[in-house]
Amino acid sequence: MKKADLITGIVLLALSGYVIQEAWRMPPSGTFGPGSGFLPFWVGVLLTLLAVILLATAWRRQATEKDSKSPFPGKRALIAITAVLGGLAVYIVLIEVLGYLVDTFLYVTFLMGIVEREKWPRTLGVAVLTTAGLYLIFQVLLGITLPSNTFGF
Amino acid sequence: MDIFHNIFLGFQVASSWENLLFCFVGVLIGTLIGVLPGIGPTTGVAILIPITFGMNATTAIITMAGVYYGAMYGGSTTSILLNVPGESSSVMTTLDGYQMARKGRAGPALGMAALASFIAGTFAVLMLTFLAPALADYAVSFGPPEYFALTFMGLTLVTSLGGDSPLKGLISGVLGLLVACVGIDAQSGVARFTFDNMNLLDGVGFIGMAVGLFAASEVLVNIEEPMQQIFTEAKLNFLSLFPNLQDWKDSFGALWRGSILGFVIGVLPGAGATIASFMAYAVEKKMSKHPEKFGTGVIEGVAAPEGANNAAAGGAMVPLLTLGIPGSGTTAVMLGALLIHGLRPGPLLFSTRPDFVWGLIASMYIGNVMLVILNMPLIGIWVRLLKVPYSVLMPMIITISAVGVFATDNNIFDMWIMFFFGVLGYIMRKLDYPPAPMVLALVLGPMVEMSLRQSLTISHGSIAIFFTRPISGTLAVIALLSLFAPLLRILWSRARTGKRAVS
Repeated sequence: MKKADLITGIVLLALSGYVIQEAWRMPPSGTFGPGSGFLPFWVGVLLTLLAVILLATAWRRQATEKDSKSPFPGKRALIAITAVLGGLAVYIVLIEVLGYLVDTFLYVTFLMGIVEREKWPRTLGVAVLTTAGLYLIFQVLLGITLPSNTFGF
Repeated sequence: MDIFHNIFLGFQVASSWENLLFCFVGVLIGTLIGVLPGIGPTTGVAILIPITFGMNATTAIITMAGVYYGAMYGGSTTSILLNVPGESSSVMTTLDGYQMARKGRAGPALGMAALASFIAGTFAVLMLTFLAPALADYAVSFGPPEYFALTFMGLTLVTSLGGDSPLKGLISGVLGLLVACVGIDAQSGVARFTFDNMNLLDGVGFIGMAVGLFAASEVLVNIEEPMQQIFTEAKLNFLSLFPNLQDWKDSFGALWRGSILGFVIGVLPGAGATIASFMAYAVEKKMSKHPEKFGTGVIEGVAAPEGANNAAAGGAMVPLLTLGIPGSGTTAVMLGALLIHGLRPGPLLFSTRPDFVWGLIASMYIGNVMLVILNMPLIGIWVRLLKVPYSVLMPMIITISAVGVFATDNNIFDMWIMFFFGVLGYIMRKLDYPPAPMVLALVLGPMVEMSLRQSLTISHGSIAIFFTRPISGTLAVIALLSLFAPLLRILWSRARTGKRAVS
């Protein structure tokens, strides 16, 4: 955790530097009272201050037991998380190409069958039910047009 | 009297078939969310926003409020039967509730949890009925400096009271303020932090951010700690659920103390149901004639926290409705939903939309009755639901979130916002940064900025304006005190240990 705090502190410092620089370029004051750069500038200053406190306390703190352990999980869990997130990114990219129905069915099948290693009959059942259920709620009941593919579904 | 007229109006609104139906749907989903570990009330409300989008505002918020207090009921079931708290606010219930179940008294424990929730929940709604209009009347006279001081106080209280590290809470809040700055500045028309992306001109979508921070990141955290299948063989029939006379006698004090304490804590911004249940349990233990028995299965150890967390859920509606200041992550998400529906919570809401305010309040009376019915005879069904494995829930939660976020604006970009904040929320949870202040800051950000700039325009740039006006001065001082509260707490505990060492 100590190492993580140090890294976050540096990232936050960089971010606040960027914010202050950007805010500085905005019109500093309107005709009446403070302008659009006012709040971002002071928020940036505040963030710098907090990042410095974070860095200083992390630096001075004695390493505890919690510090020696990484806050992030082992390799296997990390692979599962990456798979879920990667799948989500692919899902978002493909939803306008494949259409909602096919894309959602494939994503649920991927999540259950490959990431969670459920049995295939169950996986396909849940995938069909989820896709159909959401279609019913959003498209039929709420009247929202979900993305469709070139074949129209 | 005016108030009876208003309540009557409220019941008229709340008892339309549509509102009754969705009140029921809300408390049903709330109970479900409360029972299932790994999905919290904030996530539930966030996922629900897109689905309630097509409804009128009153029905939508009635549903969401139902989820909020419904989750407080459901959370106790798994705490008692399985020693697994469904929500953080029912952690304290596990201490005595699970011990009661092990001694074969699961029935009275569950019954007392449901009835304590009902009694305290109804008490909180009653208090809300009388307190909220008075507070709203008072707040009508607020000008920009008061509003700035108020929102500022809301932000600092949430960040400094919630979470283990006040510093990390503050960082989370400040980052939320930055996110709120993205988009075209409403006062001057300047585009800020948009990275030349057209989609960002309107600012970062609230729903995408809330769903990402709560729902998506919760899923990611749960994937890495696989939950084992849990079963209980406890046989429950309806009559075994009723606590006996001795139980009522034992719990009487806990019930009213828990209700009052829970309500007061719920009203305070920043301290929600979780803190209320912790404090109610601690107070009961202190007041008890046999504190050593706490933790071995005494019924007042169930009644106090269960009452308190429900009263707090009702109390949290007071600042939300009268001042537009949410006190917790869940109410922050609800405030965002209100804004999307075109309602501006604040003192004027009571005079401009009495049908909405009183309809919501009346629905909470009705919802509390529905919950007792749902939770007492049907408890067996809820227990069986626990057998649904997470591998089935997980794909459902992700796809509902993603499609819902898309549906609010028919915009793929909102899904990317959800993706981004899902990853950010996961990292934040892992590094102990609470996500609630960030969402709160995003919702309150525009109001903070507008009232700040208006005040400074009035005062020609002098910040003295926040301290010289009596109300805003008081609020600003409380805000500053709460900022430095962590420091004072450290000094206080040092002084105490010092004293102990001397004696």
